[in-house]
Amino acid sequence: MDAADVLIIGGGLIGCAAAWHLARAGTDVLLIERGELNAGASGQNAGSLHFQIERRFLEHGEALADQAARTVALSRLAVSEWRDLPAALGDDRLDVAMHGGLMVAQSDDELRLLERKAALEARWGLPTRLIDGAEARAIAPYLADDVRAASFLADEGHANPRLVTRALAEAAASAGARFAPQTVLRALVPVSGGWRVTLRRGAADVEVAAASVLIAAGAWTMAVGALAGVHLPVFPIGLQMNVTERVAPFLPHLVQHVGRRLSMKQAHDGNVLIGGGWPSRLARGEDGFDLARAPTVLVDSLTGNLAVAAATVPRVGALNLIRTWTGVVAITADQLPLAGAVPGRPGLFVIAGGSGFTLGPTLARAVSAEMLGRSAGDAAEAMALVAPARFAHLNAMLA
Amino acid sequence: MSEPCYDLAIVGGGPAGQAAAEQAVGAGLSVVMLDEQARMGGQILRQPPYEMTVASWLDARGYRALKRQLARAEALPGLTFLGRTSVAGVLREAAGFALIAVPTDSAPGRRVAARRLLVAAGCYDLPVPLPGWTLPGVMSAGAIQAFVKSQRLVPGERFVLAGTHPLQLILADQLVAAGGTVAALLFAQTPGAVAHALAGHAGAALRHAAPLAAAAASYARLRRAGVPIQFGRTVLAVEGRDEVVAARVGVPGEAGEAIACDRVGLCYGFLPQADLPRSLGATARWVERTGGWATVADAWQRGDVPGLYVAGETTGVAGAPAALEEGRIAGIAVARDAGRIDAAAAGRAAAEPRRRLAHLRGFAALLDAVADPRAVMTRLAGDDTIVCRCEDVTRAQLLAAAEGVAAPSDASALKLVTRAGMGLCQGRGCEAAVLRLLAERTGVGPEAIGGFTPRFPVRPVPIASVGEVGGR
Ligand SMILES: Cc1cc2nc3c(=O)[nH]c(=O)nc-3n(C[C@H](O)[C@H](O)[C@H](O)COP(=O)(O)OP(=O)(O)OC[C@H]3O[C@@H](n4cnc5c(N)ncnc54)[C@H](O)[C@@H]3O)c2cc1C
Ligand SMILES: Cc1cc2nc3c(=O)[nH]c(=O)nc-3n(C[C@H](O)[C@H](O)[C@H](O)COP(=O)(O)OP(=O)(O)OC[C@H]3O[C@@H](n4cnc5c(N)ncnc54)[C@H](O)[C@@H]3O)c2cc1C
Repeated sequence: MDAADVLIIGGGLIGCAAAWHLARAGTDVLLIERGELNAGASGQNAGSLHFQIERRFLEHGEALADQAARTVALSRLAVSEWRDLPAALGDDRLDVAMHGGLMVAQSDDELRLLERKAALEARWGLPTRLIDGAEARAIAPYLADDVRAASFLADEGHANPRLVTRALAEAAASAGARFAPQTVLRALVPVSGGWRVTLRRGAADVEVAAASVLIAAGAWTMAVGALAGVHLPVFPIGLQMNVTERVAPFLPHLVQHVGRRLSMKQAHDGNVLIGGGWPSRLARGEDGFDLARAPTVLVDSLTGNLAVAAATVPRVGALNLIRTWTGVVAITADQLPLAGAVPGRPGLFVIAGGSGFTLGPTLARAVSAEMLGRSAGDAAEAMALVAPARFAHLNAMLA
Repeated sequence: MSEPCYDLAIVGGGPAGQAAAEQAVGAGLSVVMLDEQARMGGQILRQPPYEMTVASWLDARGYRALKRQLARAEALPGLTFLGRTSVAGVLREAAGFALIAVPTDSAPGRRVAARRLLVAAGCYDLPVPLPGWTLPGVMSAGAIQAFVKSQRLVPGERFVLAGTHPLQLILADQLVAAGGTVAALLFAQTPGAVAHALAGHAGAALRHAAPLAAAAASYARLRRAGVPIQFGRTVLAVEGRDEVVAARVGVPGEAGEAIACDRVGLCYGFLPQADLPRSLGATARWVERTGGWATVADAWQRGDVPGLYVAGETTGVAGAPAALEEGRIAGIAVARDAGRIDAAAAGRAAAEPRRRLAHLRGFAALLDAVADPRAVMTRLAGDDTIVCRCEDVTRAQLLAAAEGVAAPSDASALKLVTRAGMGLCQGRGCEAAVLRLLAERTGVGPEAIGGFTPRFPVRPVPIASVGEVGGR
């Protein structure tokens, strides 16, 4: 039987980042991935590094907004994580750009929402600056004339989802982590001193003994949890993204909209990426959503998203759309990440849920520390907020 | 503004689309046809001028039939024709399909709803990467023909034409007739390979004497005009700094000699345009000789997605007369599936088109065998040769990306790492080459590897045009 100190399930950004941290600490890591590395959400996302409170948290009342505000601590950590990442990986091709981000408001209601959000952020120590339309256009001349106000955060930006996960994987491999792509998890059984794991590669099943297991399976987290006999309440959500042809640089910032779904940035390659949480349609199977098939594009999301983009940054309207794609993100019931030790299952850890590109490297670092028995340091308080323990009631009656 | 929901939407006004429209309208169905061109005609009868008689690999009789079909289709009462309109994509809806239709002049797009959809989108030139092929002045046969056919314009002075497809003969003939100079006409395959292919389809060769005679006539005319025609040699590289100044010509693997020219035309074959059906999830099979995806159809030209029909070269390249027969069958099938005619009547109506189709497919198989590009096309690209011209990705970059930690082993993963296939053309230009390269490395066939995921839109379209589709 093969053996590893840590088995990581999932070759997305989070699995690869954790593999890097754990391998660097001298742990023997085996990462398995059902298909190709970076083929899940990590390679499909918008690449936004957004640290302002997301508008999805503002849509559902005060309680949720307050709770979300408490993760501002994580966002602050993520800012330094991303600033340091290229140097730490010795890789300057991650296209990390942190030239600031604007969340804009066009109507009165939106303006009020923006003010409420900025107040929350101020309370939790995020240095967002509320500026009027004229100042916003001074910073970002490409914005539409009817932009009334914006909240500006100097640290926001974007990085390249095509490259980050593979760079993490290369670094992890250099530190000794082993990678097994095209390998699916079949069974996860607790044994004394850890877990016995059954993997399928091609037609053959192999057994691996692992002292601990990290589930980094993105939208598939719930199914993987079931193999270990626990509920990991993470729900798949289909999203869609659009990208324009390449053009000369004109949009250095991350642009978001507080009242309408929009996130927009110009990638290093020159393409403008347009998204913002517009839904796609998850494929449906006999008895539930079918994550093996890609979600399909929704016309209303497509036209709606592009209309908001052109209304916010008129120049974008004249650019050619060259591609729309869909991806699946994992969300918890309270929209916060799910990261840390799984209660009642010694040696089992999970990281999933939420804006896992922005927060992924930070969560992976903190949970790796926890797996190594080290303190999470600055992250400890925020990590308590996202720990799986808050859903322990779901598993209290599972044997 | 509420738009009608048509019984049938047809993408493509070529022979296949026209023939289907005739059947469907005849059966009393409401039909909308969309085409990027201003008028119907498709690749074979690019208009205007529409009375012209350019040579084709068809004999005169075949041509006349196509023109009669075109005249009938243009006169169809009640057929809504939306010209200069790109179908950027098709999305499934509860009641059928939503086409995102965007005028080619960037006006606001619209959503066209239809219960059934026929994709008859034709084919496009097989791109063959070789050193220098991205220089201005290197053209596909299709691009040259577009000038010659619809504008009667010779797009250059001195042409070197190379490839394996017999269409080259026709193209050279058209160029010379229109006043151009063909410095060399090169068939990359050896005379032995041609003889072998003909012998293997001797029956078809006999049954299709007329188009072969048309090709022979072109050959003789070119010879008389002093055009050098050679077999077993091809363009190995194109030379020039900012534009073409010469073609390096010879046998693959050798240095070759330079022939001065300002245009190089490449003609190794054609690939089915199958991205719309594939984006809907329809099954397509890998075409062994040329690469590319041919949409799979049943005996009624139905794709394996409910409500989807496919006809003409979207299902495989077989020539215009075959496209027309497939379109006819598709139109009959739509009428039948919509309950306008019964199964027996449909069977009777389809019998004659099916007989002709079987006959025509024999000729297509012969052409395929003669034009087989495989022995040559994979031997032309060097390590520095650009494979994806939209994103400037070289063969060496693709090879390097296919090494390393958990290296990509499918087309989409390789695309994500290298950007090959991420450009304006949606990967149409490099997919076949990328798949061949992966197949070489992994030992897994292209069909099993699977191509780039087909995505909306199949044509680049302005953001504002799509944003305005909602219009609400
Ligand atoms: C369209 C879109 C836009 C987004 N935009 C942003 C953004 O701008 N900013 C941001 O912060 N976040 C964004 N996100 C969210 C972000 O992409 C994800 O949260 C993040 O990538 C999650 O990383 P992951 O490694 O957990 O998951 P994934 O990248 O999905 O990786 C999980 C992997 O686990 C593998 N796996 C699953 N089950 C098994 C099994 N049984 N055996 C073996 N392997 C298995 C899967 O194959 C997959 O590769 C976006 C998401 C989407 C879909
Ligand atoms: C350069 C070239 C030369 C050829 N010469 C010959 C020849 O000499 N003899 C012969 O038999 N065959 C020839 N063919 C093959 C020829 O294309 C077909 O035989 C015939 O035209 C096929 O008919 P079709 O109806 O399948 O497609 P086409 O005639 O190609 O018609 C397809 C139509 O669909 C439209 N279209 C495609 N996609 C979209 C979209 N997304 N939105 C809107 N409109 C769209 C196109 O504008 C086109 O008008 C040639 C092909 C090419 C490329």
